[in-house]
Amino acid sequence: MKVTVKAWHAIAEWRWDTGQQSTPDTDDGEDDVCGICRLPFEACCPACKVPGDDCPLIWGECTHVFHMHCLLKWISTPASKAQCPMDRRPWVNAERKVNLN
Amino acid sequence: MAAIAPRRLTKELKELTMGECPAGVQLLQSADFETWVLSLEVLGESLYKGEVFALRFRFEPQYPIASPEVTFIVDDKFKAPIHPHVYSNGHICASILGHEWSPVLGVASVCITLQSMLASCKKRERPPDNDRYVRTAPASPKKSRFHYDDDTV
Amino acid sequence: MDVDASSPRRPTAPRGLGFAEVHTLVDDDSTREPARTPVGFTVTSERFTHCPPAFKHAVQESWRDAVQQLNGGRQPVTILNAFGKAWEIATAYLTPKDIALPQQDIAVVKAAVDYVAAAQMGPALLKFYDESLSRQIPFLEREIDAYMAAWESSRDVATVRKLVARLFEWGRAWAPAVELGGAFDGIFYTTFKSNLHIALPPSFPEAFVYLVQSTIGDLSDTDLFKELHMLGMLDRYEALVASVVCEQIERQIETLCPGKWDEPRLPELRHWLGDKVVAWLMEQYSRAGTSASNSIPGHNVIVQEAADRFDFHICKTMCDLRTSEIFDMIVDYPDSMPALLDLKECMQRVDQRAHLVTTLRRLNKRRLLHPGADTKDILSQYVSTIKCLRVIDPPGVLLFKVADPIRRYLRERPDTIRTIVAGLVGEGSDLIDETEANAPMQTAVEDYSDPNWEPEPIDAGPDFRTNKPSDVISTLVSIYDSKDLFVKELQVLLAERLLAITDGNYERELRNIEILKLRFGESALQVCEIMLKDMTDSKRLDQRIHSTNPSVLHSTVISKHFWPALNARGIKMPGQLQEILKAYERSYILQRPDKRLHWIPHLGTVKLEIQLKDRRHEVDAAPMEAAIIELFSQKETWTLDELATSLGSEAAVVRKALSKWLDMRVVREDSPHAYRLLEEAEEDDGQTGLREATPIAEDERPAVISLQQQQAEQMRVFWRFIQGMLTNVGPMSTERIQGMLKLAPGYDRTVEQLAIFLDSARREGLVDAKDGVWKIVK
Repeated sequence: MKVTVKAWHAIAEWRWDTGQQSTPDTDDGEDDVCGICRLPFEACCPACKVPGDDCPLIWGECTHVFHMHCLLKWISTPASKAQCPMDRRPWVNAERKVNLN
Repeated sequence: MAAIAPRRLTKELKELTMGECPAGVQLLQSADFETWVLSLEVLGESLYKGEVFALRFRFEPQYPIASPEVTFIVDDKFKAPIHPHVYSNGHICASILGHEWSPVLGVASVCITLQSMLASCKKRERPPDNDRYVRTAPASPKKSRFHYDDDTV
Repeated sequence: MDVDASSPRRPTAPRGLGFAEVHTLVDDDSTREPARTPVGFTVTSERFTHCPPAFKHAVQESWRDAVQQLNGGRQPVTILNAFGKAWEIATAYLTPKDIALPQQDIAVVKAAVDYVAAAQMGPALLKFYDESLSRQIPFLEREIDAYMAAWESSRDVATVRKLVARLFEWGRAWAPAVELGGAFDGIFYTTFKSNLHIALPPSFPEAFVYLVQSTIGDLSDTDLFKELHMLGMLDRYEALVASVVCEQIERQIETLCPGKWDEPRLPELRHWLGDKVVAWLMEQYSRAGTSASNSIPGHNVIVQEAADRFDFHICKTMCDLRTSEIFDMIVDYPDSMPALLDLKECMQRVDQRAHLVTTLRRLNKRRLLHPGADTKDILSQYVSTIKCLRVIDPPGVLLFKVADPIRRYLRERPDTIRTIVAGLVGEGSDLIDETEANAPMQTAVEDYSDPNWEPEPIDAGPDFRTNKPSDVISTLVSIYDSKDLFVKELQVLLAERLLAITDGNYERELRNIEILKLRFGESALQVCEIMLKDMTDSKRLDQRIHSTNPSVLHSTVISKHFWPALNARGIKMPGQLQEILKAYERSYILQRPDKRLHWIPHLGTVKLEIQLKDRRHEVDAAPMEAAIIELFSQKETWTLDELATSLGSEAAVVRKALSKWLDMRVVREDSPHAYRLLEEAEEDDGQTGLREATPIAEDERPAVISLQQQQAEQMRVFWRFIQGMLTNVGPMSTERIQGMLKLAPGYDRTVEQLAIFLDSARREGLVDAKDGVWKIVK
């Protein structure tokens, strides 16, 4: 028997690539959340209405990830001392490397 | 700037009421997003065994970017624990409530930190400057400039 | 019975008293017996013997006076004789007799009467006449008995007609000549008529009704009404005449109207009443009054008044009929519009509003608001009810009263919201007109500055809310207290619809959302906006991917938290399917380096071509089905467990998907749970029966979890919330719990729903209620 796929309309959800590999097995429906607002990364930060590119994530060199808007809000306060909320290391934006595998 | 506290506190409230409340901690009051009251006791062997304290959290609209104001309740029913970092008026000298606050912290983590602060205490005593501080203390400990003499808390 | 046999006796001999003869008698002083007929004489003598003594005495007294005056000194006995003669003639005339007998010469009678009157005996004569009329009833009774007996046996109205004619004849014969003056006439009319009615049997009115009925609209019988009038029957049976007309009206409506709603009936009925009935009545009454003495004063007014009552009766009868039919008229709306307008007009004359409300409420309860009725049908009947009652009663009082039980019932139905929303987004929607759908949601606020403002109708109850400005959708949505439920359900429905779209044409959904935004407000539909944005973004991105890396796969990429919960069940796609996905993912990452795709393998459609040794199939399959057949292309035999393991799915799900290939005879179940690919078609040897005999675990979970399921799930979540609250905070009232829960994300229950939930928790022994507060049962 030969099976040929003529066309396929497929549905997918998008996820931010947070660098953590997830497979269908490990995907238990629990979402990674932003440590600051505690809302899922794929939802938007409390100040936004539209998810995705309009409310992106921000990566620190310390590997910690937040909603960009949440982090900027924190960094802009003197109390933050420009530190990562997670590890209190100085916050440095990391360039995202595209994972092409 | 829009108030971000309600959505964050909604999540925290959900967690606290859904069984993710730290052991020894109980939510006593959470009717709004401004003031919550939790009871706190130190489980296991400690100087405070059998004592129950109450913590009052006050949140600003910018919580968790802004730290919460946390004090032990001192009234007919509750007393502040006798501890080198806790003033008799309930104010707490703890770095995470001041310059080491981080927005990833929350009500539960503050409670756990304070529990461990009490649990690790070796000697029941007030801070050396207690009387002077209590006489002149502002209503909110957030306005006090504490000298954190112990980096462990 | 032969009527003629009992007719008045034929004259036995010609007989009459000439005036000359009387004169002679008087002049002659003769004492000889007056010439007499046996009948007349007998009657006369009888009359005297039966006189009451007092009267006799009075007459004798009078006579003595009269005799003296008349005498002027002459022989009293002569004068007495002359008077006696005059009296006798007068009374003979005034004594009603068998009409078979010849009439007396009126001139002689007049002279006699004048003579008696001159003797100042006029009153006595009138009295005599009155009494003698009464004594003649047997004549009438004889006739009546005969004709009525004939009527009873034949039921032929002609018999009744003959009776009327006959009675008229008697009456005419007994009526005093006009020459005698109005006094006699007056006595005749009152006494004869009342005597006649005493004589008529109780069965006569019925016969009369039949008679009148048979002549309605028929003017050929020119004498009937004249005769009826003379006999006093028109007056006496006025109500009967009216009832005959009313019955006729009812019959007319009964034949013309039931079940016929597609054209107005009222004008036709009124036309018929005017042309046929009223015109006929008018003519008959005017004929009845042709003779001056008989004229019916103001018969025009009488008939006009009657006509007005008949019109009322038409309205009343129509009202009753249409009220009894109202449910089906609503079903037939808008075809029943003419009938509704008829009803509206009738109701303006006849106030049957309360009756309409009770009837419709009763019919609704019996025919609509029961478990057997489809929610969609209830809703569309409700919508029609709204429209119909607005026709009949624009202020909406009737609607308010009728709608209340329907709304309460609909609120109890679990799928009401879903059905309404399906109507809103136009899923086979006949619920809402296109034009209505575009109107913004109205809130009913009374605007007293409106020059067209009218006070509420008097039968509006205290809780009546004028819903003048609200449209059908608003009315439907207002069944519930909050719009949130609609928005949630809308989200679920929209998701189902969007995910089913493969041609990338979202125009309709976009338009729907725009319309609904007007109704529910922009912010309420924020989530739906994002769903639509996902669709358009996906389309654009997919085009970009295809422009560089063409693929058989086209994707729809959705934003997880803005779509209703999807029944995501992971499966491991095998072989080429997996490769197609991987290749597409790589292209996607080039376009969106910061995101990854997470396939939802049970949604979507795969178009497959299956080439077997002896046959070829082109099928649209669900991804799970495609995955199974892909596995069979790798290996020809599989057990259920192997398949399930391979796909990383549950056996029940696999089994269900397998049925597609079993049905197509591409795969065969050789033994339970062991499957083999049929490279060559095999004859059906009944083996397929094996599969059917094994019950298949139903796994009919829809792709998108319904709102109801979500709510049940949600309530379980909230239960933990409530439990935590009651444990930590202590006993709380329902309102307090509601207040707390409102802080929880996604909580949208009403306090009533919460109370119901808490009560069910109480029945399960989880909580206890005391003094209005709930507490946890430890």
